[in-house]
Amino acid sequence: MSTFGRTSAVAVVAAGVATPLGLDLDSFWSALCTGVDGISAIERFRVDDLRVGRGGEIKKLRALRHGRLPRCRASALLLLAADDLLTRAALAADPARVAVVVGTALGGVEEGERALGERGARAAAAGLYDSPAHALAERLAARGPVLTVSTACASGATAMGVGADLLAARAADLVVAGGYDVLCRFVMRGFDALRSLTRERVRPFDRRRSGLLLGEGAALVLMARDADAPRVRLGRLLGHASSSDGSHVAAPDPQGRGLEHAVRGALAAAGVGGDAVDFVSAHGTGTPLNDRIETAVLRRALGARAGAVPVNSIKGALGHTMGAAATLEAIMCLLASRDGVVPGTAGYEEPDPACELDVRGATRAARPRVSLSTSLGFGGCNAALVLEGAP
Amino acid sequence: MTRVLGVGLLTGWGAGVAALPEDARRAAGDRRVVPLVTPPLAGERFRRATRECLLGVAAVEAGLRESGLSRAAVAGPRTALVYVTAAAYAASNRGFIEGAGTTLHFPYTAPSAVPAEVAIEYGLTGGYVILVGGAAAAVDALWQAGTLLAAGRAETALVLAVETFDECADLWARGRWAAPRPLVEAAACAVLVGSGDDSGYGPGAASTLEALVARRAGETLACAPLVGLALARAAGAPHARVTGRWRGRRAQIAVAT
Repeated sequence: MSTFGRTSAVAVVAAGVATPLGLDLDSFWSALCTGVDGISAIERFRVDDLRVGRGGEIKKLRALRHGRLPRCRASALLLLAADDLLTRAALAADPARVAVVVGTALGGVEEGERALGERGARAAAAGLYDSPAHALAERLAARGPVLTVSTACASGATAMGVGADLLAARAADLVVAGGYDVLCRFVMRGFDALRSLTRERVRPFDRRRSGLLLGEGAALVLMARDADAPRVRLGRLLGHASSSDGSHVAAPDPQGRGLEHAVRGALAAAGVGGDAVDFVSAHGTGTPLNDRIETAVLRRALGARAGAVPVNSIKGALGHTMGAAATLEAIMCLLASRDGVVPGTAGYEEPDPACELDVRGATRAARPRVSLSTSLGFGGCNAALVLEGAP
Repeated sequence: MTRVLGVGLLTGWGAGVAALPEDARRAAGDRRVVPLVTPPLAGERFRRATRECLLGVAAVEAGLRESGLSRAAVAGPRTALVYVTAAAYAASNRGFIEGAGTTLHFPYTAPSAVPAEVAIEYGLTGGYVILVGGAAAAVDALWQAGTLLAAGRAETALVLAVETFDECADLWARGRWAAPRPLVEAAACAVLVGSGDDSGYGPGAASTLEALVARRAGETLACAPLVGLALARAAGAPHARVTGRWRGRRAQIAVAT
């Protein structure tokens, strides 16, 4: 018997993004498919005392169509993603029935750092991790539940799962869900000190992979119950699951048991088996350990077909955008289904026998119907999403 | 309806509801923060764990004891862990920013550090959700736990909340709009079973329980709804309508106590 019950699919109506590859969905998608490199020297804060000073930094924020960008960069990225989302879909529901669920690893930590040197209640409040979600809800005039999820770098996936649960429970009629995080000195210092960052190119699943680079961004999707959603949509979230490793605060379980549990849970919730998966958007950080563990999990979960299912990681192109990553990857899955194109894994050149998956450096033609997206984060956080492109 | 098997409660006033004063404001006197003593969890296993991590572990231990469950009963993939806090990451963030922590402490700046230590200690590998926010988010956490139970994604769910204020008391003093005095540090764990159906989750007016919690415990942010569950159980109430407010939003849920 499965340890997971089946869950209701929800429609993903539209998406909006703000990324180092572009500040709207079309430019993000085009850059991903054409191999644009979103990694650059970090300019916004001091990095000269760090081992690594590169990342997926957004160099210039554009203006919003309505209103001003807030000082808080995390809120600004979220509002830019929302601005983009609202060019594609309207929030056609009673505002009291519109929920906001966003995930973040770092929340407003940059504002928290600033608050230590400033006076005033506003600065202190801005440092709370849930401040950007409330800024987004205010801008959207959403008066339903406002939830901030913080399952580290799996946050964007967990947020979409919680959003789907809100819809299934009829606690909301529309959910704006997603994730965000900013590239700031706090996080660069932390990852640099942990020696997780590479001085070379990020190379997910490549034999020469030597670490990750961080990025920043925000990604949002508009979700609705399948029966209530418009016919024009990106696709559906068929199932989701989360799990805890219960093994280490900062490292994944060596056997990937937690991730496997989440993957199997999401497949069961979606009502499909591993043999139904046409494409995998892997967490694929480019660290030696992560990619090896993830490979082993995918080979177990997908069975005999594992080597034939296209797998990619977009972190070589824009860095690890932490709380935004999983939502960006979910959106990428749905766009791949829409356009019949799977973006290549930037930086992938030499296969690694320990990562025996169908990973390619170049973009390829493929039209996945069912995609699996995997995410891991500090604290033993794992999440998996099963998505289906619109027919 | 989701049923509470037990609530482990630690507050700056002591352990359990019996330690709560009749009037927290009066009992606090001039104190802005009523701190919690760090639990005596020593040894290599906890050498890097922050105070909030240790409080989380101690609250779960108390919750299991109140529920009559052993560690073995919750270990594994059939127990979900839903953690909620408004600010129990602030101290570790500040420590890292101001240079008090070493690089090895960086992972402990994430809100996920607290449930991670709990999951490691109790072998929890089931559903895992971490929410950030005050009392309304704790109501969301109770709903999320009920959802995991109702969907068959868990047989038992632990809803854990931890709030610490002492290390950032100066920052909280600036934000009186969000958190009235006295700020009372707390860690609470509700052990839940059953189904989340018919929970009445949604917006709602303040319950009498919410007012009672504020009067007796003071401001405990995300812990407040769990303090309410503990008070309702102590009073022998079969059901409780739990409400919580945070940043202008109030949420409610009904739970069998």
